[in-house]
Amino acid sequence: MKLLLKLAWRNIWRNKRRSILTLTAITFATLSAVAMRGVQIGTYNVNIKNAVEMFSGYIQIQRDGYQKNPSLNKAFRITDEIRNALNTTPRIKSYTTRIHAQGLISFKDNSQGAAIFGIDPQTEKEVTHLLDRIDEGSFFNSAGSKEIVIGAKLLGNLNAEIGDTVVILSQGFDGALGNQKFIISGTAKFGSPEFDAMGVFMGIESANDLLSMYGNIHALVINLNSLDEIETVRNNLNEKISDRKLAVLSWGEVMPDLKQSIEFDNISGVFFLLILIVIVAFGILNTVLMSVTERFNEFGVTLSIGMPQLKLVYLVLMEIIFITIIGIVLGDIIGGIINYYIVQNPIELGSELGWIYEEYGFLPQIQSTMERSIFINTSITVFVISVLSSIYPLVKVYRLEPLKGIRYT
Amino acid sequence: MEIIRTEKLEKIYQDNGVPVKALDDVDLTINTGDYVVIAGPSGSGKTTLLNLIGALDKPTSGKIFFESEDISKKTKKELSEIRLNKLGFIFQAYNLIPVLTAIENIEFSMMLLGVPEKERTERALAIMDELEIKELADKRPNEMSGGQQQRVAVARAIVNNPTIVLADEPTANLDSKTGSNLLDLMEQMNKEKNITFVFSSHDKQVIERAKRLIILKDGRIE
Repeated sequence: MKLLLKLAWRNIWRNKRRSILTLTAITFATLSAVAMRGVQIGTYNVNIKNAVEMFSGYIQIQRDGYQKNPSLNKAFRITDEIRNALNTTPRIKSYTTRIHAQGLISFKDNSQGAAIFGIDPQTEKEVTHLLDRIDEGSFFNSAGSKEIVIGAKLLGNLNAEIGDTVVILSQGFDGALGNQKFIISGTAKFGSPEFDAMGVFMGIESANDLLSMYGNIHALVINLNSLDEIETVRNNLNEKISDRKLAVLSWGEVMPDLKQSIEFDNISGVFFLLILIVIVAFGILNTVLMSVTERFNEFGVTLSIGMPQLKLVYLVLMEIIFITIIGIVLGDIIGGIINYYIVQNPIELGSELGWIYEEYGFLPQIQSTMERSIFINTSITVFVISVLSSIYPLVKVYRLEPLKGIRYT
Repeated sequence: MEIIRTEKLEKIYQDNGVPVKALDDVDLTINTGDYVVIAGPSGSGKTTLLNLIGALDKPTSGKIFFESEDISKKTKKELSEIRLNKLGFIFQAYNLIPVLTAIENIEFSMMLLGVPEKERTERALAIMDELEIKELADKRPNEMSGGQQQRVAVARAIVNNPTIVLADEPTANLDSKTGSNLLDLMEQMNKEKNITFVFSSHDKQVIERAKRLIILKDGRIE
């Protein structure tokens, strides 16, 4: 066995140039896959984290069905059981409550549709960065404030200015129409065209008052440390909250569009990498085939002296495995260095591209990650494809007759 | 004692669709301790016969008995086992494994038989000592002369104590003095260890030393 390993190892270095070429191809495929997946997943993570911490939170508790079909009446009250669940579940950093409603906002002769959000600014800032999206003016400080912050575009559409008083009209929880006056304290840019044109943020107590919610809320928004904690926390909450009319939703369920666009981009990224790896696989096939064919004579001799056919296949397979493993390790190391460098020094997107990213609520930044799964998945994929691409040469070795080998020139 | 016996051995090759009879009705017996030379002009069928009795090829018709067992219809795997356990080969072009040293080349066939590493090394060194090539132990084939390589090839062929050693034109690539030394060595092995040798050659000095000469012409024994 040791001699066979030695033979396989030395065979690799018989034709240094070819082995280095094969090694380079495998290393390149691995490092490209590691670096590209790193950037892809790292950038997804940073954007998901950004989106989650911007508004949706990592987890939301809502009435079941509210997410798909929002209605003012699908509200709930925070019971002692819910409060207890939130306070005793590990990894929950903070939480806040929200009320959502549709309404009309009017200033002088202008009226616009409004997406009303009742928030508690004191707890909201512990959960999301919503308050940091202020563009002009300032955010109100208390849940009962009669000030509101509206989307920057909405302010323009209303022909209003900061400090103006507007009237907000909406149907309440009890079905009656209610209207109240509010002062615009500031405008915000949310990175979403819809929010910027319709978003109206007011104190949750004021929203409760306007919409006659009687202490009911529509969403409990929960902040965690990382995306990896979502499933555990969600399971814990599901165990602790007995009210089956409530649903514990992850960010992906609250923002299905973002999740889908990431999944689509992810699939296209994986597809692109597979194409790259398959191209490299053809290179490996070519070099292994050459290496095997030019040793047919030698193989013929070893078969003649009694080497079993399968052992010969095993020898060639060992050579392929050796070279593949070296290539993968080198690729993982170089790819890891690239990923680490980008993690430490994220690439900031400047000028127009960066501005477009920001406008849509994405961080204008290319980030990477050192996630172990990237290295493991890439290594396994490259290894499997390298071995698969060697099947044809191995079959040729298996079928080689000793005499044909000896006579091969 | 009979090692190999052939009965009405026939081998027909297809040369661009044209059948060519390489061996025709060959009856031959080789016994333990024989030192046989199969001679004949080029194309007479020497190598074909050697390949058939060496379990490297199958006859078109006829039978080959190896230690009284018909091997003409055996599978690839069974033939491979016979070659490994019972036969030693010496080729015209030495055909040592280029990336292995002399001692590793000798150990290689023992490795295939599953001989433990320590025993392999001891046996390889012993045979190298006997063939006076111990100083070549750590040299690779490209660091050795043709004669030295062929001596290592002889060591590789006999180290597993085969029933028979088949040598295909073993002196063809050697000068006459080196060839003669190599033949001395094989003759000595034949005499001292009773190793059976079968040569295929048209080299005069090989033919002259034959204890038994088989002359082939147009695929038939003359």
